[in-house]
Amino acid sequence: MAETKEESRIGVFICHCGTNIAGSLSVEDVKEYAKTLDGVVVADDYQYMCSTPGQSKIIDAIKEHNLNGVVVAACSPRLHEPTFRTATEEGGLNKFRFEMANIRDQNSWVHMHDWEGATNKAKDQVLIAVAKARMLEDLQPKSVPVEHAALVLGAGVGGMQAALDLAGAGIKTYLVEKLPTVGGRMSQLDKTFPTLDCSQCILTPKMVDVGRHPNIELRTYTEVEKVEGYIGNFTITLRKKARGVLTPAEALERGIVGGGCNGCGDCSEVCPVIKPNPFEMGMAPRKAIYIYHPQVMPLLYTVDFDSCVKCGLCVEACGPEKRAIDLDSVDTFEEIKVGTCILAIGYDLIPIEEKKEWGYKQFDNVITGLEFERLICASGPTTGHLIRPSDGQTPMKVGFVLCAGSRDNTGGVAKPYCSRFCCMYCLKHAHQIMEKIPGAVPYLFYMDIRAFGKMYEEFYYRIQNEGAKFIRGRVANILEDPITKNLMVYAEDTLLSRPVAMEMDMVVLAAAIQPKPEAEKIRQMFGVSKSQDGWLLEAHPKLNPCGTTTAGIYLAGVCQGPKDVPDTVAQAEGAASAASIPIHTGEVQLEPYFAQCIDSLCAGCGMCVNLCPYGALALVEKDGRTVMEVTEAKCKGCGTCGGFCPGGAIKMQHFTSPQICAQIDAFLLKGEDY
Amino acid sequence: MSGNMRQYAFFLGCIAPNRYPGCEAAAIKTSEKLGIELLPLKGASCCPAPGAFGAIDLKVWYALAARNLVLAEEMNMDITLICNGCYKSIWEVNHILKHNDELRDGVNEVLAEVDMEFKGSIDVWHLIELYYDEKICGVEKVRASVTRPLTGTKIAPHYGCHLLKPKKERHFGDTENPMWFEELIDALGAESVQYRNKMQCCGAGGGVRGFDLTHSLDITNEKLINVQEVGADAITEFCPFCQLQYDRGQVEIAEKFGQVYDLPVLHYNELLGLAQGMTPQELALDLHAVDCKTFLEKIL
Amino acid sequence: MARVKDYGNAELEEKLQDTSYYADDANPQFLEDVKKLSRTAANMCFQCGTCTGSCPSAPRSSYRIRLFMRRGVLGLEKEALNDPDLWLCTTCYSCTDRCPRDLAPTDVIMAMRNLAFKVDIVPRNFLKTVQLIYKTGHGVPNNDVNRAARVKLGLPADPPTTHSYPEFIPGIQKIMDFYKMKENADRILSEGEQ
Repeated sequence: MAETKEESRIGVFICHCGTNIAGSLSVEDVKEYAKTLDGVVVADDYQYMCSTPGQSKIIDAIKEHNLNGVVVAACSPRLHEPTFRTATEEGGLNKFRFEMANIRDQNSWVHMHDWEGATNKAKDQVLIAVAKARMLEDLQPKSVPVEHAALVLGAGVGGMQAALDLAGAGIKTYLVEKLPTVGGRMSQLDKTFPTLDCSQCILTPKMVDVGRHPNIELRTYTEVEKVEGYIGNFTITLRKKARGVLTPAEALERGIVGGGCNGCGDCSEVCPVIKPNPFEMGMAPRKAIYIYHPQVMPLLYTVDFDSCVKCGLCVEACGPEKRAIDLDSVDTFEEIKVGTCILAIGYDLIPIEEKKEWGYKQFDNVITGLEFERLICASGPTTGHLIRPSDGQTPMKVGFVLCAGSRDNTGGVAKPYCSRFCCMYCLKHAHQIMEKIPGAVPYLFYMDIRAFGKMYEEFYYRIQNEGAKFIRGRVANILEDPITKNLMVYAEDTLLSRPVAMEMDMVVLAAAIQPKPEAEKIRQMFGVSKSQDGWLLEAHPKLNPCGTTTAGIYLAGVCQGPKDVPDTVAQAEGAASAASIPIHTGEVQLEPYFAQCIDSLCAGCGMCVNLCPYGALALVEKDGRTVMEVTEAKCKGCGTCGGFCPGGAIKMQHFTSPQICAQIDAFLLKGEDY
Repeated sequence: MSGNMRQYAFFLGCIAPNRYPGCEAAAIKTSEKLGIELLPLKGASCCPAPGAFGAIDLKVWYALAARNLVLAEEMNMDITLICNGCYKSIWEVNHILKHNDELRDGVNEVLAEVDMEFKGSIDVWHLIELYYDEKICGVEKVRASVTRPLTGTKIAPHYGCHLLKPKKERHFGDTENPMWFEELIDALGAESVQYRNKMQCCGAGGGVRGFDLTHSLDITNEKLINVQEVGADAITEFCPFCQLQYDRGQVEIAEKFGQVYDLPVLHYNELLGLAQGMTPQELALDLHAVDCKTFLEKIL
Repeated sequence: MARVKDYGNAELEEKLQDTSYYADDANPQFLEDVKKLSRTAANMCFQCGTCTGSCPSAPRSSYRIRLFMRRGVLGLEKEALNDPDLWLCTTCYSCTDRCPRDLAPTDVIMAMRNLAFKVDIVPRNFLKTVQLIYKTGHGVPNNDVNRAARVKLGLPADPPTTHSYPEFIPGIQKIMDFYKMKENADRILSEGEQ
């Protein structure tokens, strides 16, 4: 057995977790076993060790038995390590003199029907934890100062709300948006459910606010290029994409007084290049120099250099006073320093054309919900007249395919999850059809109507009462009449047990949603995990839905999982609040799990420096020798360097080689000394 | 045969050799022109019929299909065939037994009674997929083999079910609106036409033709209406059972529902044979219930 | 738990008894058998009706494949196997291609047909195919008209199958006898004739 520096006096505390643990294994046996282990001076158990009386047992025992190590066998350290560390500290020990054995998530929950096996496994887990506890050392957390600024990535409604909250709390906030304007998906919507507010009307005040708030640094047409650092001290490189158009401020920098873009649009008028406008889901044209829509923020034109032919007509039209257009502009880079970051990068529809049975992109009159939004919107390509793409006629029978690619386990583009807002927007669309087209009938093909939000069920009631038809059956397939371009919708009315084939003038697919393609790159830059369904992973699904497992990075909106506008805004405010705490505190404590270089053993070979994924290591001259030095704030304690070092000169604090070897020995030798 | 011919064991099934021998003759002759030599699979039986037979005892279905597979394994040769139903039995059982040890062991237990063992050493192909496969033949080679283009004819493709579906266990991709058969039809100089509900079943499968003929024909009738609607001169398929359903089915539909279509129904191999210059006599088209005369007049 | 209500009236007792359909007439083993034979997770059906909507038989009959899925989930063996609609599936697999739960309803039907045969429920045409294959190796055997046509085409009068090589037929019969298939087919057919 490895040598311990001082005589071990370990206390072992076993939690019943109600019946979560005690229902599947013998707490009593584990306790009696713990008492037999080397170095253990006291073993106790309690119904809920995390409760105040439970914690008091630990605090009292430390004092009474003069403990120098504490082991709690209970749930996951992710849940209660902080609780028990605090108790350890209150008992008078350094809080890192604490070790946890997870006999719930990793034992009783998975071995629910094997009493003896689970009991034996719990004994092993306690044995291993005690082995480590005997070798724990006092450690001091490191405090680092926090930059008084934040980054919000994505300027949809979630990103804008988060930025406004942070800015309102006095924090300088960089709001970075990939597109030329803020607004996001919500600015594409016509009305919002269940209140039927005009989406643009309630959104534009926020768009204006983020444009003029003194604490918000707006960066549109900009992407994140590189992320370095850690909570409190992120250094982020932004790529400002070549826009080809100068703001008045940028013009002034170039000595053009009173110049820059004023949004007059003369350039766009003369531009000869026509492209589909993605804001209108491709249903309206835009030029190579363009704005998405009249309410863009900032009101600043953008040159699409992929389609610009550089004819120079726009430069001429802009004139010698403004001189706002620079067709030779290139991407520029900016480095910013922030303490915390919020990701609010939104979502896309799945490529629903891949679900061939519904004929999207094959049949003219099959459209998506987002296309419907633009077609019904007064500022949209048809000035709000819902028409059939095939012939411009007004549709009188409109089918809605709910769960189009959601709740679908067939793989490919389909998603097993519920996209959460489609039921409600289909109800809203149904209302809009009946409101705008007298006599028109919407038919909603549904599996379940999920109207779970505040006033949502009431909205469902209202739309049904207005005359929308509900058919409880998922649409099997859609065929087009080649002459009339009408659509035959096949389904079963499962409540009548009757197959139906209904001829529709138009069909709207409530396509499932998925993460943005760039989400993968972004999450890797920021060190955020993704959950099984592909969305960004929150720190805890219930108790920490805005945080991530990387300190200082928070999530808002659909990028964390499907949610509607109210939920997005609520999460954005939560994320802003969470992101402001370290900034207002001014400093953060880092877990002291740093690598430490033992200078006397270090040969200065420098191999570790290149291996470190966080750039935390460097070679320095010390007492005439070249040795490695760790920048503790950058080190994440991953252990790559420690595992590699040929001279064994790198010590991983709290996960030292002797500690880990002691755990392995304990398990393999079961306490016997060989 | 010259050494650059690809050789396959030709699994005949029942309906092609015993009702539409022109399909068999055409397959042998047309494939020869495309570099494919079909060798007799001696002693083969019914595949056995997936619907009628698999429906009552899947174990016997596995075992009898495996027996046919073993005959080809003993020849050390891949199987090719010209019927979707046979494809379901022969290809699918081969696939299942290759991937399911429990079922394979069960099958081998009974095959041992007749001194056979399923080894899983060969693959199974529908001749139409060999024709379409660029590595084996390809559309261009089919086009090049045509000596009498079927110019001026409009032909409705029928894919049938069991070659393509269920798509997740097959390798043909989209089953809602595939277009590869159309390429093969167009290669003959004909014009393939699209019609409503192209992918719907002919109505024969699953034992339904035998169980409830009227019901089965009602499905066929819907397809015929849709095909006639677009002015097709003929239907083509690559499944003799679908062919039987459309061809003899038209006579039965005339009797039962009083509707007459006179739509010739030709297996793709028969169509290819015509395009390669074979005579109607060489294809025994006189055995078809629907007279092919009007169609033949357009091309001969 | 079901309680005796003790209305003191046999007729009322009968009328007001618990009628949960999965109590008396359900056989949980039925679902397990269906799952094993069909090799699909038949218990995962959520009754969306995509299968019936895809089914070419549904619009022209009372056959609802979704109902058979439901009966499978609930273990309603008798209700499933005694319903003649079971035999109206053309096995076109459209439902299987579209099922959002990634199930194979077609194979569930095939499994139920297998289970029906085990209790002697099977249409006669299926059994006649069995007899033909047992006798000739072919479900659709050759005939004289066809033989003549084959010869005209330059093909042998009988194809090179069991028709030309009848020595293979005993092997086929042995395989079928192993499962007592012919025996059962003969018995069911003769019982039906009585």
